[in-house]
Amino acid sequence: MFETSISQHNTPILRVNGKIIGNAVDALRHEMRAQIEQGGGHLILDLTDVPLLDSSALGAIIATLQALKKSDGRLVLLNPQEAVQNVLAVTRLDTVLEIFQDEADAVSAFSRG
Amino acid sequence: MAQTILAVDDDVDILDLLEISLDSDGYNVITAGDGLDAIAKAKSHMPDLIVLDLMMPKMDGFEVIDNLRLDSQTRAIPVIMLTARAQITEKLQGLDAGADDYITKPFDLKELSARIKAVLGRTQPTKYINPLIGAMGDWFSETGVEQLATHLKTAATIQQRLLPQVPPDIPGFDINGVLRSSTSVSGDFYDFILLDDGCLGMVIADVRGKGIPAALLMVMIRTALRLVCRQESSPAAVIKSINDLLVIDTEPDLFATMVYGILDPNAMTFTYSNAGHCHPLHLKDTENRKNRGTGIRGKKVTIHQLRTGGMVAGSFDFAEFENETVELHSGDTIFFYTDGITEAEREKDGAFYGEERLLDVIGSSKNLSAEMICKTIEENLVNFIGRKQQTDDLTLVVLKATADGVEGHQY
Repeated sequence: MFETSISQHNTPILRVNGKIIGNAVDALRHEMRAQIEQGGGHLILDLTDVPLLDSSALGAIIATLQALKKSDGRLVLLNPQEAVQNVLAVTRLDTVLEIFQDEADAVSAFSRG
Repeated sequence: MAQTILAVDDDVDILDLLEISLDSDGYNVITAGDGLDAIAKAKSHMPDLIVLDLMMPKMDGFEVIDNLRLDSQTRAIPVIMLTARAQITEKLQGLDAGADDYITKPFDLKELSARIKAVLGRTQPTKYINPLIGAMGDWFSETGVEQLATHLKTAATIQQRLLPQVPPDIPGFDINGVLRSSTSVSGDFYDFILLDDGCLGMVIADVRGKGIPAALLMVMIRTALRLVCRQESSPAAVIKSINDLLVIDTEPDLFATMVYGILDPNAMTFTYSNAGHCHPLHLKDTENRKNRGTGIRGKKVTIHQLRTGGMVAGSFDFAEFENETVELHSGDTIFFYTDGITEAEREKDGAFYGEERLLDVIGSSKNLSAEMICKTIEENLVNFIGRKQQTDDLTLVVLKATADGVEGHQY
């Protein structure tokens, strides 16, 4: 359910496919950790193909955000779909997370540093 | 799902033969050429069974078994030993070391297949408790598991008693709540707290995750909230205190969404703060209100979502929260719920219960008592889901204004 690529600015893009609920959350947590270790402290999480995520998935995203911030890294969410956008809006996590609809914008956010 | 078998042999030809044969029997097959590789693959793949050659260079089968038995994760994986030597002592030594069965080379593939089936049939039920064995470590025993079951039951009873046992008695209001837990203990909770001047503190909360970890945090939040709500006057300040306590005491990925509000029955107001929780719905009987003087009872209902507040509580020390005060009039209802309701999935097609369905049921049941509204929604939801086991805790609380304050009450 994970596919990774590297953006122009050497930031790993982790593309998730499917609902991030239950056991998939642990898998996501491990995958994010592995990507960060390889990617110089930044991560783009592509949510284009994620129809739904649960509160534990939000927890994993928050933990990753906090861990990255400690080392001046950044976590960017890419193209969350309606249900996921709603969850981010209700929990107000959209006020602390960087969210982009477009990959080029997300990537250029890193070039602005 | 197909079962996974790890085949271990230093002879490439035998390994190929095993792979082809087991594959055609419908198993997922992984292979290892020596003892060290076997241990690594057992740990990473957690196979359902291992077919293990006894005589191998570097590390023999006995040592592999010893290693597997030392690790609580791999301890219970069944092993069938392959041995070229038919001596009784070798077989006994293998069984003594913890092998579940053995087969002598040269072996017949049909016999191997039958033995694998027999061992899997015997050992498969224990596979489900492997994670439990790992978590309990040395505590794992018949007595240990019995104790654990008792602890779970007791924990569920303790938690049940932390929920309101009777609805609060506030003149001019009809209030009720219901909680259905998806596991023995729950991460949801609601609470009513009598405050000074006849006011009532009300909370509904949903702790991240489910089961025991969520339940521990739930108990912590409920206790803290009962203390803090008497020290702080505004709901936003109460939630900020809870937020700061959680930030200090827990990891950032543990958080709760919650709404805390104060019902003032004299002023006919509800002042609340919402920490990232799904928005409570305030159904206003507006037409009724406008036409009060004319005696015409209209049916128009407007819905106001209670969104004011801030982020989820417990993850960020910089989180800030705001209050909002809403006026209440006779006929108004505020409906609080957790996302276990709107995100409940129907068994047959995975469709969500959703907010619209919820609004329909609320709309058609709004003239019932708070208790009956809760029951109606609960029944409607259970019917919607089908027979599928509920996947998340779900909670709803209904607050109904039945009279316009003290004056209205006297009419």
